Amino acid sequence: MKKIIDSLKSGIYFDHYLFISITILSLMGLVFLYSASDGNATTVIKQSFFVIFGLILMFIVSQPDPDFYKNNSLIFLIFSIILVLLTLLVGKEVNGAKRWLDLGFFTLQSSEIIKIALPVFLAAYLYDKTLPISLLNTLITLALIIVVANFVRIQPDLGTSLVILIAGLYVLFLAGLSWRFIGVSFGIFILSLPFIWNNFLEPFQRQRILTLLDPTADPFGSGWNITQSKIAIGSGGIQGKGYQMGSQAHLDFLPETETDFIFSVIAEEFGFIGVCILLSIFFFILLRCLYLALNARDRFCRLTIGGLSLIFLSTIFINLAMVIGIIPVVGMPLPFISKGGSSLLSFYLAFGIVISMATHKKLMQK
Amino acid sequence: MIDINERFSEKKNFFNRLIFVYIFFACLFLYLIYKTFSLQVSSFTDYEIASLKNKTREVLIQPRRGIIYDRNGEIIVNNVPSYNLIINPSAINDLDSTLSDIKKIIDLSDLEIKNAQDNFSLKKKLNRELILKTNLTNEEIAKFEVRKYRYSNLFIAERYTRENMYPYLFSHSVGYVGSINEEGLQDILSSQDLKPRETIFKYSNGYLKGKTGLENIYDKQLRGFFGKRIYEVDANGRFLEEKETIDSIDGKDIYTSLDLTAQQVAYNELNNRRGAVVAVNLENGAILSYVSSPSFSVNDITNGLSQKEFNKLLNDNDKPFFDRAGQGRYSPASTIKPAIGLFGLEKDLIDWQYTIDDIGFFVLPEDGRIYRGWRKDGHGIINLQDAIIESSNTFFFSLAYQTEVNELIEYLSNFGFGKNICLDCFYPDKGLLPSPTWKMNTHNFGWFKGDTVNLGVGQGYLSATPLQLAYYSSFLANKGSLNNFSFVQNNKDVIRNNFITNNIHDVDWKKIHESMIGVIEDPKGTAGRLKNLKEYIIAAKSGTVELVSTETKEDYKIIREIEGNRDHAIIIAFGPMPNPKYAVSVVIENGESGGSVAGPVAIAVLNSLIKE
Repeated sequence: MKKIIDSLKSGIYFDHYLFISITILSLMGLVFLYSASDGNATTVIKQSFFVIFGLILMFIVSQPDPDFYKNNSLIFLIFSIILVLLTLLVGKEVNGAKRWLDLGFFTLQSSEIIKIALPVFLAAYLYDKTLPISLLNTLITLALIIVVANFVRIQPDLGTSLVILIAGLYVLFLAGLSWRFIGVSFGIFILSLPFIWNNFLEPFQRQRILTLLDPTADPFGSGWNITQSKIAIGSGGIQGKGYQMGSQAHLDFLPETETDFIFSVIAEEFGFIGVCILLSIFFFILLRCLYLALNARDRFCRLTIGGLSLIFLSTIFINLAMVIGIIPVVGMPLPFISKGGSSLLSFYLAFGIVISMATHKKLMQK
Repeated sequence: MIDINERFSEKKNFFNRLIFVYIFFACLFLYLIYKTFSLQVSSFTDYEIASLKNKTREVLIQPRRGIIYDRNGEIIVNNVPSYNLIINPSAINDLDSTLSDIKKIIDLSDLEIKNAQDNFSLKKKLNRELILKTNLTNEEIAKFEVRKYRYSNLFIAERYTRENMYPYLFSHSVGYVGSINEEGLQDILSSQDLKPRETIFKYSNGYLKGKTGLENIYDKQLRGFFGKRIYEVDANGRFLEEKETIDSIDGKDIYTSLDLTAQQVAYNELNNRRGAVVAVNLENGAILSYVSSPSFSVNDITNGLSQKEFNKLLNDNDKPFFDRAGQGRYSPASTIKPAIGLFGLEKDLIDWQYTIDDIGFFVLPEDGRIYRGWRKDGHGIINLQDAIIESSNTFFFSLAYQTEVNELIEYLSNFGFGKNICLDCFYPDKGLLPSPTWKMNTHNFGWFKGDTVNLGVGQGYLSATPLQLAYYSSFLANKGSLNNFSFVQNNKDVIRNNFITNNIHDVDWKKIHESMIGVIEDPKGTAGRLKNLKEYIIAAKSGTVELVSTETKEDYKIIREIEGNRDHAIIIAFGPMPNPKYAVSVVIENGESGGSVAGPVAIAVLNSLIKE
């Protein structure tokens, strides 16, 4: 019997730190969502299915050897690019944005998939390049990142396209992008900001940025969301108003309580204490990822873990900074907490890959 | 493939870079936590208030306006309830079937149904009441009350209308209320520390404000204080729960000094002729009767009048909106004579024995201009008393001729001419007490001696309102001591005005009174016809205001063909003598004879007051 368990154990790739913390986070998410959706059981049950399916998916994805991802990364990338292009052609349009592919049983937000596929591919592409990375490789990688991010931007989904851009740049940076290149391009970026402002941003996106600078100028227009979110968070105080007692959330003052602004609901109902508990779980996951990245078996694994964990980190940061009113409202879910199957599954997928990278040791090293 | 050394340096490089990014983000997260901390801990109170403000909505509760009484406790202005049929849209899913259910017992017009359909969804969304029908009849109320159990979302609510019980009697004294503009509302609410917002109305007309008369002057007291009802609301402003109610404080009732009976008598006696009556209580200066004629219905103005009907009133040649009692300017004419006589006595220009030979006219020595009396052949040898009784012009022309005009004017102002003598009248006119300075400033002409002569018989530039004439009358009756006029009983702000004189003694006042009694009682008196209309002794002085100057009676007969050219009839009177309690003034425009036209009105009003 013990032998069977041992042999099973040796054949199963599993990081219980990540698995437990992510499970706790997901369960907390369901609890928060129940309040944020005004006690809508259907929403929570639907989300629960995604959580269960996601945990299973994470487990399955962590089983193959990293080489499987390394060798098939191009196929994954091409597949997800096709999904994105397909979305542009036949996607479901909601509020003027074509972001969803209707698969019958599930509407897939294709940009969530490419958010994972791109960094994995880039890691696979860059892992065996000599240091520092040549200008040619840098430019090829950059071109790919920009093209893919642009596909998502024209949906339009500025938030996710930013994450894709950042994700690509993380991998490039971690892979050893030369500091000189970074310095030069950063300078060019700053200089081209006015050009980006005028040509790449939709009027409503510009408005959001302007609103951020002075939300009180137009409290009932575009500043409404930020103002109400700040009131929700601020009025939570240290201990919060109590579960399902948030007046900002339940009397409809707060917009998008189930998705973008779920953090405001948590902050309103559980206060600063609740916020700190939630953030510590996020920190724990991130620190675990840092540890795993540093101890990964090869360069590909390191780059992948580093890239994916930084996507996770950036998503959290963008969401929190948005609801607190530090950056414009861009539409970014809080990982494992916000409603939305695609985003949820993409992070289970990402952590599944992370676990795979972290748990498979090279036979040679054993 | 890369070799071992390179792999080692690559690993170190990766390590540094990943740590670098993590530290970078750690700093950003520290900033986020700091921001959250400052929102939730440092600025907690501000945001807690903002959150509370978000979810509460205060609704104002309109106070009930005070009732206005006459001096005997008769209600003049009241709040008359009307009944409205109201539904609660939030609890109704199918409006049409509800309406057809209601139509079985209470008839609804097409307009009412359309109004209900138009407003239903909004009221439902916001959880507000919807008024289906206003002014239900008693029959409709009864029909509904018996079947109430069948209509759980339907109820009847009381709303008031502001109604004057005697809509034509008090139009210019009590005045009327009307709706209010945004600015006016803001003023009223900010005076009670409130902001304009949703209101639960007690009046079907909405916000009310006194527009004219006492309703305006005492608006603040009558108005009361708004209450508040506090609701929890959602972001759409939908009422969720009632939290707290602070009741409104009803306005204070006002007990006026007006006398309903006297007012009715005055109004009926004027009988829609253009004119005015003012009667006062001599003891305290309280106004008992204040009528301007023709009048209009204040209830029509308050509770809705078509533009056409309103324009008809506005363009009426008789100007019903015009307050003749407080704003109409009339020459005092011969009624001024007792005051001129008193001035003559004061300055020792004459005494009671002093006589002149009235030959029917006075010749101004400066330029030979002739000033005629009303009797062609004059009154012969005549003293002050007879000059008042018979209303000799020549006597007063010649007396006025001897006066120093500025002294005379100052003297006349004691009697209320050219002044506001009322504490709570609505925009009272000051009339005009002319002076050489005034004439130079307005007419750019010097003062002629002839102007002073004209002043002696109350003609020319001098003009006064019926209210001022009543004051003058009261002043004579009270021998120079009199309160300012007021419409309310026991007004604490009244000031006693005392005549400052060195040379007028009680005996002089008695003589003046005797002379004025003679106006009615003496066979030669100008108002002898009034003698039999009363059971008391009454002092009076009539006057006839010349609008067009004519040389002879024949000339006057020609100009009187046009009604507007006819003389105004005017009288001041007080009684019962010898201890007068009431004074009155009457003006009837184009009434021609002070004694026989204005006189009976004055007597009727005094009769009604004295009999009470």
